[in-house]
Amino acid sequence: MIDILTVGLVSLGLFSFFSTTVGLLRLPDFYCRMHAAGKGDVFSSVCMLLGFAVYLLHHPTLEMVLTSLKILAISVFIFLASPTATHAIVDAGHASGVMPWLKEKKEEEAP
Amino acid sequence: MIWQLDLLILTLVVLCAVATVSVKDLLSSAIIFGTYSFLMCLLWTEMAAVDVAFTEAAVGAGVSTVLFFAAVFRTTRLLKFRPAGRRLAKVLGLAAALGLGGMLFVAEGDFPAWSDPNSPASTHLSPYYLTQTLHDTAVPNVVTSVLADYRGFDTMFETAVIFVAGLAVVALLRRREETGPPELYQVGAGYEDTIIRFIARKMAPFMQLFALYVVAHGHHSPGGGFQGGVILGASFILLAIAFDFRFVFSKMGERANILFGNLGVLIYAGIGFLCLLLGANFLDYSILEKILPATDAVMARSHAMLGVEIGVAIAVMAICISIYLHLASHGRMDKGL
Amino acid sequence: MDLLVAKYNYWIYVLLMMIGLYTMISKNNLMKKVIGMGIFQTAIIVFYVSIGAKKGAGIPIIAHGHGHDLAAAAVDPSLYVNPLPHVLMLTAIVVGVGTLGVALALCLGIYQRYDSLEEDEILEQLQ
Repeated sequence: MIDILTVGLVSLGLFSFFSTTVGLLRLPDFYCRMHAAGKGDVFSSVCMLLGFAVYLLHHPTLEMVLTSLKILAISVFIFLASPTATHAIVDAGHASGVMPWLKEKKEEEAP
Repeated sequence: MIWQLDLLILTLVVLCAVATVSVKDLLSSAIIFGTYSFLMCLLWTEMAAVDVAFTEAAVGAGVSTVLFFAAVFRTTRLLKFRPAGRRLAKVLGLAAALGLGGMLFVAEGDFPAWSDPNSPASTHLSPYYLTQTLHDTAVPNVVTSVLADYRGFDTMFETAVIFVAGLAVVALLRRREETGPPELYQVGAGYEDTIIRFIARKMAPFMQLFALYVVAHGHHSPGGGFQGGVILGASFILLAIAFDFRFVFSKMGERANILFGNLGVLIYAGIGFLCLLLGANFLDYSILEKILPATDAVMARSHAMLGVEIGVAIAVMAICISIYLHLASHGRMDKGL
Repeated sequence: MDLLVAKYNYWIYVLLMMIGLYTMISKNNLMKKVIGMGIFQTAIIVFYVSIGAKKGAGIPIIAHGHGHDLAAAAVDPSLYVNPLPHVLMLTAIVVGVGTLGVALALCLGIYQRYDSLEEDEILEQLQ
């Protein structure tokens, strides 16, 4: 049961990391890329960390439970810090005048 | 230790190094250098050097990158592109690098193979540390016991070197400008954002709590004075960047930083002199059982190590904050990044 | 191939050292020189830490060691990597950030005086 949960969470995180990378490379402009990076990064890291925390409960001694609580604390930290950092980057981009991508512009430029 | 993984990380490290050197924008260069440090941190973990990895993550990837940003912010970020210039320097550099590389490649034949358990480095002194640390000091983390006890003299002067580096930055950048009392709580340009300020303010106490845990728990897990001190400094740097530069300066100003740096080195040297006063050698902690209540010679060493680590943490914290504040404000202490 | 796999850590540290040295000598920008210094420093750290590595050994924290009741139990040194290089390099990294701070402070001072970080422009102004 614990094994299935661990494998499920870690593979979900891995898949989400993969789609984050694809989004970061393929999306058209700065804001879309930050959207992919921010959302995907938080979701996948939290999923993977939860998977590790669950895995440690195989032998529920005091040390293992404490370690898995520490991992939970890390995931809470990531859950708070990473979106804030993304917000800060997007805000800085907006302040320095990065224009969002528009469909019409793309058509004009297309040969 | 998986050599395929090692080879992958090492290749990425070399790629990152080449990219850092060749990029034409100093800000990008600093970011790639941060990535390089994180890859190094992965490599140390893979080589089972957890304490080094922790230090690299806090210092190399964290504080160094921020210092680079501050310096780039205060100078210029663009390189001048000269296709034809500096031919002589390039030839000289290439010759020197190839010469050094060639000599080291030749010398490589004499080195022991990698991860050989019977290499000279692993057979003379280190088995003593590994087998005797619990017997001598009751500290399971061998890195901490070697750092603060067996080689305590070395670490004391490393702390002094960091303190001197902080003093040098102050001496280089400090400016005496009598501009009257600065207006309080003036935020740097463009950082009026509520979300960032709120999160930074709420996060800083938890970072400090974690830093204290790292210092106090360094006997049993990776961590110790250096890492904890850097994290404490980083919490103040976060406040200075995201919350308010003036606020941090009013709490941890020039005078406070230098005083704390002094205090840290003084705690370390003071514990050493205390041993001297009680009739043992300098930094021979076991004599402290005479004045510490309810301890024997072994636990006295363990407790004295904690004291020493606290001194290191205070000094490193103060110097990190001081260097950042001076670099970011160009010694004026009015506004930062 | 055998030599390459058995000693590739040394190859990599030599490569990093060459990159660092080349950057320090040939780049025109002072900040790039500082970065080159950082790369040179990490190359040396790679060398030291990889000397401490042992096949089949774990992190240098003695397992199940709390308090000195267990001190009598024998510890097998081949189960733990060599801690001495770790200690030396840990302090070297932290001292490295101190020297980095001093180097960047010097860069700031030079920029303030000569309004440039490029070596040849500064030399021109000096003459």
